[in-house]
Amino acid sequence: MASIATLRRIGLPRLIVHVSVLFVCILWLVPTLGILVTSLRDPAQITSSGWWTAFSGASQTAAVRLGDPASARQEGANYVITGSVFDAPQAATATGGEPGATGNGTVRSFGTKVTAPAEFAAGATADLGTGETLVVNEDGSYRLSRTGPFDNGRGRRLYLTVSTPPSFTMGNYENVLTAQGIGQSFVNSLTVAIPSTIIPVLIAAFAAYALAWMNFSGKSLLIALVVGLMVVPLQMSLIPVLRMYNGIGSTFGIPARSYAGVWLFHTAFGMPLAIYLLRNYIAGLPKEIIESARVDGATDFEIFLKIVLPLSFPALASFAIFQFLWTWNDLLVAMVFLGTGSDQLVLTGALNALLGSRGGKWEILTASAFITIIVPIIVFFALQRYLVRGLLAGSVKGG
Amino acid sequence: MKVSFWLGTAAAVLMMAGQAGAQELKFPPGKDARFNWKSYDDFKAAHSDLKGQSLTIFGPWRGEDETLFTSVMAYFAAATGISAKYSSSENYEQQIVIDTSAGSPPNIAILPQPGLLADLASKGYLTPLGDENAKWVTDSYGAGDSWVGYGTYKGKDGKQAFYALPYKADIKSLVWYVPENFEEAGYEVPKTMEELFKLSDRIVADGGTPWCIGLGSGGATGWPATDWIEDLMLRTQKPEVYDKWVTNEIKFDDPAVVGAIEEFGKFARNEKYVSGGVAAVSSTDFRDSPKGLFGIPPKCYMQHQASFIPSFFPDGTKLGTDADFFYMPAYAAKADLGKPVLGAGTLAAITKDSPAARAFIDFLKSPIAHEVWMAQSGFLTPYKGVKPQAYGNDTLRKEGELLISATTFRFDGSDLMPGKIGAGAFWTGMIDYVGGKDAKTAAGDIQKAWDGLK
Repeated sequence: MASIATLRRIGLPRLIVHVSVLFVCILWLVPTLGILVTSLRDPAQITSSGWWTAFSGASQTAAVRLGDPASARQEGANYVITGSVFDAPQAATATGGEPGATGNGTVRSFGTKVTAPAEFAAGATADLGTGETLVVNEDGSYRLSRTGPFDNGRGRRLYLTVSTPPSFTMGNYENVLTAQGIGQSFVNSLTVAIPSTIIPVLIAAFAAYALAWMNFSGKSLLIALVVGLMVVPLQMSLIPVLRMYNGIGSTFGIPARSYAGVWLFHTAFGMPLAIYLLRNYIAGLPKEIIESARVDGATDFEIFLKIVLPLSFPALASFAIFQFLWTWNDLLVAMVFLGTGSDQLVLTGALNALLGSRGGKWEILTASAFITIIVPIIVFFALQRYLVRGLLAGSVKGG
Repeated sequence: MKVSFWLGTAAAVLMMAGQAGAQELKFPPGKDARFNWKSYDDFKAAHSDLKGQSLTIFGPWRGEDETLFTSVMAYFAAATGISAKYSSSENYEQQIVIDTSAGSPPNIAILPQPGLLADLASKGYLTPLGDENAKWVTDSYGAGDSWVGYGTYKGKDGKQAFYALPYKADIKSLVWYVPENFEEAGYEVPKTMEELFKLSDRIVADGGTPWCIGLGSGGATGWPATDWIEDLMLRTQKPEVYDKWVTNEIKFDDPAVVGAIEEFGKFARNEKYVSGGVAAVSSTDFRDSPKGLFGIPPKCYMQHQASFIPSFFPDGTKLGTDADFFYMPAYAAKADLGKPVLGAGTLAAITKDSPAARAFIDFLKSPIAHEVWMAQSGFLTPYKGVKPQAYGNDTLRKEGELLISATTFRFDGSDLMPGKIGAGAFWTGMIDYVGGKDAKTAAGDIQKAWDGLK
């Protein structure tokens, strides 16, 4: 009864809202969780089973090669090879993984034919024919005995079913972080992203103020032009701009590919959106404040600096987050205008190079995803405190 | 932020200083008898006047392959004193087009697509290498004439010239298997296509699945099927028909091509032949597909894939013991076609001429440039002047012999076709075919796309 009463108090519409918000949150979080779990797994585990199986101890099949015939001892009439399957070299299997992956497991069953890998239970004696018998115990120790000397040249292949506790590794992160050139590319990324964020924000703020609060002829046309520029696809201008840079570079004898070139490109392509966003925000500031400042004799520059800029911090911060994310994640522009040499790569480029010529390395991909996300998250939380409401509270009577 | 930024810069400078000193020669010159050190010394003596010059090379290799290539480049740098810089990019095909058309090309471009190189040549971005280099390839490469053909394009002036030197090859006509799985079940490596079908049927009768086929490859999904079709074209038709097919002199929906597609269908569209059923063929990633061979029990017994695939075998796989390959057999019924080999390779072209660039092309002609990579991994060469004992393992050596002894060598057709076909319509067409479309219609769609280009 109590639950029905609670339900009635919340009301159906609100309940639907809550449930759908919860649903969307889960929808967004599950893939992220999947990536996180995958990044903590061994490469062989990733390809052999889904990430959701990582938490339950796996019953894993593995193949090992027993000691080679040269290591056989003679015991009476029998030739015997003994050892532990966990010390034996791993034969290649899809579920194998790094040596010792099965090291702390328990053997459940074993077999000598790949088509019947669980033919015998652990501890049972398997008769392999031609006087050969094999016992594998739960702790992994085995004893292979034969009435005559062993004749084939290499160790016998043995298949095991081993149950292992869940295991996670930081190895993927280690591989990515210690790869050559990652530190350099991190610095390169910051060198690209920080100025490429600050420059457009600065220029756009000036332009936005002018377009919002200053009167001059052709203003609406200019706004329309800026908004229209947003549809120019960046990819289309790669070759013409690079050609222009090359021309400038060869005329003045400076390198055509430089950080300045990347900053300029990002600034140019970030500007239309920046001006549009900031103008709309600044135009929405209360007219009374600006006018009273004018009456008090403030120049446009003073109004901008002392009133508009502090008041539009939320808009500046949100655009800065956008622009920083875009320049930080960018690969294409940096590749084209900075170059592809190992000392010119940005972080995205360096991580991409780690994937190799044919890709397909999920462990690198997932671990790098979490490594690249660190800086944007720091930027987000650093700027987030400016995204508070209420800066305008009390500035205008009745407003 | 500022302080950490400068700290980071300082750390990076230190790291760079460490990098510069790290370029060492992998195998000390003159020591190991597996290598042709005389060629290294000769090259050194002939190019002693270029010290201090610089050279930029752009290629398709990244990650481990990049490390391997830079280990070869170190010898070039040591011999000439030229400072050579290598770079690559995920979208190297687009990057090279941007770089050349914007007027800032590297000195050397190494690319795996003759079609793309031909395109660059026709716009005048490549420098002809000259007849003496063409003659050198004819004389010293296995199936040399075929290789010269893949480096010869029409220039901006409309004249045919030799533009690109083949360096590094891949073989595609391979079937990978696990010898021990074959032994345990008593299967034997088939010598003819008829035997291959018989073996596949026998595996099915024994309750197994003969093939793992994975066509998935992100945006390039479908390309592994093009290798199948090309291999089967060479086994059902004369090489001349193959050549006409890649230039569209015979239509894509010609009975000859449709026949090859249907042969592929006998494998890929047979529910009992493929691991996971027909539906899994186009959804399985080609990089995950070979893992089926090593399953316990095995998900499949054979996989048709190029010589690069061992890098996607599980860690610790010993080639020759844990996994091996056999030549994708030819039909006994068509014995007159011989034993054709389908392959691919990378070709080096000069995009910005300089004495250092010429010296690099000369370097690629010296056996040592091949042997240093051969001795490590993943490198095959049709060059007959190299010492076969330099190959890092027996599997590579066997593949190398296959390449040198090839009577008919044909380059991967999809790399020769225009990009919109070979890297577009052909891929999607094959996905449609595996998805249930009839071969004639699927081929007709590809032909329509080709007609649209003209």
